[in-house]
Amino acid sequence: MLAIPQSQTERDSTGPSVRADSSIEVDPRWAWAEYQPDEKRPWNAVRAGHLLRRATFGASWDELEQAVAAGPRRTIDQLVHSPADLAQFEQTMSQDEEAVARASGIDSLRAWWLRRMIRSPHPLQEKMTLFWHSHFGVSNSRVNDSQLMLQHVQMLRLHALGSYRALLEAAAQDPAVLMSVGAERSPKSQPNEQFIRQLMEQYSVGPGHYGDEDVREAARAFTGWAVLRGQLRFLAHEHDAGPKKVLGKQGDWEAQDIVRIVLEQPTTPRLLARKLYRYLVSEADEPSDTLLEPLADMLAQQYDVGVVVETILRSNQFFSAAAYRRRVKSPVEFALGLVLAVAGDAPTQSMGNALAALGQNLYSPPTTGGWSGGPRWINPVTMIARQKLARAMLAEKGASDGALDPAEAARAKGCSTAREAAEWLLRLYVQDDLPEAVRTALLASVPDAALASSQDRVRAFAVEVVMLPEGQLS
Amino acid sequence: MSQSRREFLKSMLGTASFLSLAPAVPAFLQRAAWASPQDSSRGDSILVVLQLSGGNDGLNTVVPYADDAYGRNRDTLRLDARDVITLDTYLGLHPQLTSFKRLLDSSQLTIVQGVGYPRSDRDHDRAMNQWHTARPDELNCQTGWIGRAVDAQQGGSSSVPAAFVGPIEQPFALRAERSVVPSVRDLSDLIPAGGSAQAFGDPAVVAAGATTRSAGDNPLLATLQQATVTAQQMGAKVETVLSEGKSTAEYPSFTLAGQLQMVAQLIRAELGVRIFLVELGGGGIGGFDNHANQRDNHAALLRELSESIAAFCGDLERQNLLSRVLLMTFSEFGRTVTENGRRGTDHGAAAPVFLAGGGLRGGILGDHPSLTDLEQDALKFHIDYRRVYSTVLGQWLGYDADAILGARYETLDIV
Repeated sequence: MLAIPQSQTERDSTGPSVRADSSIEVDPRWAWAEYQPDEKRPWNAVRAGHLLRRATFGASWDELEQAVAAGPRRTIDQLVHSPADLAQFEQTMSQDEEAVARASGIDSLRAWWLRRMIRSPHPLQEKMTLFWHSHFGVSNSRVNDSQLMLQHVQMLRLHALGSYRALLEAAAQDPAVLMSVGAERSPKSQPNEQFIRQLMEQYSVGPGHYGDEDVREAARAFTGWAVLRGQLRFLAHEHDAGPKKVLGKQGDWEAQDIVRIVLEQPTTPRLLARKLYRYLVSEADEPSDTLLEPLADMLAQQYDVGVVVETILRSNQFFSAAAYRRRVKSPVEFALGLVLAVAGDAPTQSMGNALAALGQNLYSPPTTGGWSGGPRWINPVTMIARQKLARAMLAEKGASDGALDPAEAARAKGCSTAREAAEWLLRLYVQDDLPEAVRTALLASVPDAALASSQDRVRAFAVEVVMLPEGQLS
Repeated sequence: MSQSRREFLKSMLGTASFLSLAPAVPAFLQRAAWASPQDSSRGDSILVVLQLSGGNDGLNTVVPYADDAYGRNRDTLRLDARDVITLDTYLGLHPQLTSFKRLLDSSQLTIVQGVGYPRSDRDHDRAMNQWHTARPDELNCQTGWIGRAVDAQQGGSSSVPAAFVGPIEQPFALRAERSVVPSVRDLSDLIPAGGSAQAFGDPAVVAAGATTRSAGDNPLLATLQQATVTAQQMGAKVETVLSEGKSTAEYPSFTLAGQLQMVAQLIRAELGVRIFLVELGGGGIGGFDNHANQRDNHAALLRELSESIAAFCGDLERQNLLSRVLLMTFSEFGRTVTENGRRGTDHGAAAPVFLAGGGLRGGILGDHPSLTDLEQDALKFHIDYRRVYSTVLGQWLGYDADAILGARYETLDIV
């Protein structure tokens, strides 16, 4: 059996002496500088697992090993750059999704997105697409049109690792975005303020950094834009071309000028940096403005999201204790992690329903604020529902028809006893990084018997591991 | 007591009576009552909200049978003095509501008359949105009134303040910004696969985790550790309730009765759920939305409603739980006073709300709305539905109703 470095010796040194406690301030220059493995912070399966959980929806044993062998720099190179086969994948997948959007309902489309997440050759792009889905918070419960929802997510994907400026310009012209906030009409006589409020509060400057007067004036610039039968139209006679004063800037502003003006505000890159930090680094603490400043400065240059995401993934902060297991796996991450850990596949139609019950209904975030995530995913009922989902997915037969059978996966990797299989599963799912007492108690509950005669126990063991607090954290 | 008599008494007594009441109870006694476990209005009181989908014809539910205007306008649906269950010389209950009459007689039912809101909306979705958000003036309101109540609770990841019980999609009233509100179709949804005892590993594994994971190190680890323990306990409690069988209570074979029985079992399990939402009418065709041939369908629904609620109250009473439970009904609107020529009625406005439970004053609250002073052929409201919400959230559950509703509404005298 192949071995990957274990973390036993460095359990308490997954990073420098950085505490999640924000009262101990980290030097921002150090935080966002590139992580260089050394004796105290070696590159190993623990750090590779951390990186792959954050930048993808889950990793197999082989992918973990490849990452350990390749080192952080080359692994991240591969994660951030579009692979050669992306265009082909994109073309086939989009055709299928468009057909589904025309012919079937949103539930089928949701299943196809999950399938895309499982199979994408560029998982970071898909992961960031999901980030933007939550950021814009567009729900089919308001839009009620599968094709417009698909167009919306395609738009998010196109800009997922690109320019936020381009993304926001596209969002301001996206029928689904306008419909989701009730901004289908905006006549000159009664400018619709819904999109502007959303734009200023959640997409750009943030609460407290604009006034009602800014909203009223900016709304005038968007008059005339309307969504008619799912199409964006410009009704020139309904447009107010006069001068407006928005966030201190005076001019005959048009819609695209408003987007430019909000992006010029210093609080906009800060708001975005904070959201990216929460998504990629930690949900456990609120980072200080000082810590975020280098990221915000970078965003303010060109709003190049890809560069900032890459900086975060390569950083000391990302590989420190302040980030390690500082996120709760979202339902999507939890379920897809089970699929990808054994490089398997699973039917996604029923999975979509199960994830909705866990609180993450793709294409229908609960509010325009998206999913708040973190500990909010968790309550006793969702814990039980996660356990039931894992049990069903990892069963010999059932939800995934044995395709994710952990006992079979262990056998294929050369494990011959139940104990060996259990040890391998601990390395696969949590890179063996558990409190020693928990690890001992877990392994003691597995009989020292032939794997062939203890497959049920091994499958149950796998569920116990993914349900561990460590197994539910990313 | 009728609304006008109440108003009259209030004006006679004036403010002096309020002044004399307030300081009558010494502060230390007030504090003691606050902390007392017998004080059922705080801490362990439970609200069950029952949505009647489609728009219930309140006029043929609580019937002003003696009103000429009623008889004139209801050609085929009219219930006369011989049909109704007489309450007084003016009002009677629909003949299928015999169980409601029993509840009324034992002060376990309060009928709140004429509940609605200004500028009534006759569209199902928009009217339901009113009742669900309770923030009609906020364009694009993103959350439901119960969802906001859930978001406002402090229990975090170890508590489930509200749940939907039923097979259909969750009503918007439960939409929360920062919480996942569960839907329960079956009690087994709350039991981990393979049973609660081993679901999260050998007890030694869970115990080892509890001693080695501390909040100071990683707050999220501690949160999950605690949620694991609570989930296991919840599963065990539900297993116990299931193993005890469905109590001796007799429930009729209605779908709603089955769902209320499930709610009763969940209440008995003491899971800490304070608000349950149940629904009647939305799973099938039309529900209460009887534009044609209303008579039999409406009668069947009212029978299901009253028999189910009565069985639920009886079950809880036998288990000494009824004093902690308040059930309230609502529907998106009442119906037009006049029939529509198809032996049915169209979308209306104000309608009665039923409150059932053990801690109630009981009786009829407010007057029946006038049948001649109408708003586009529908009854006018005189009790804003948010006053009912404010009462059940604030007085009954002890929640901060003003914060949840975004404004202060005068509460009703129901408990």
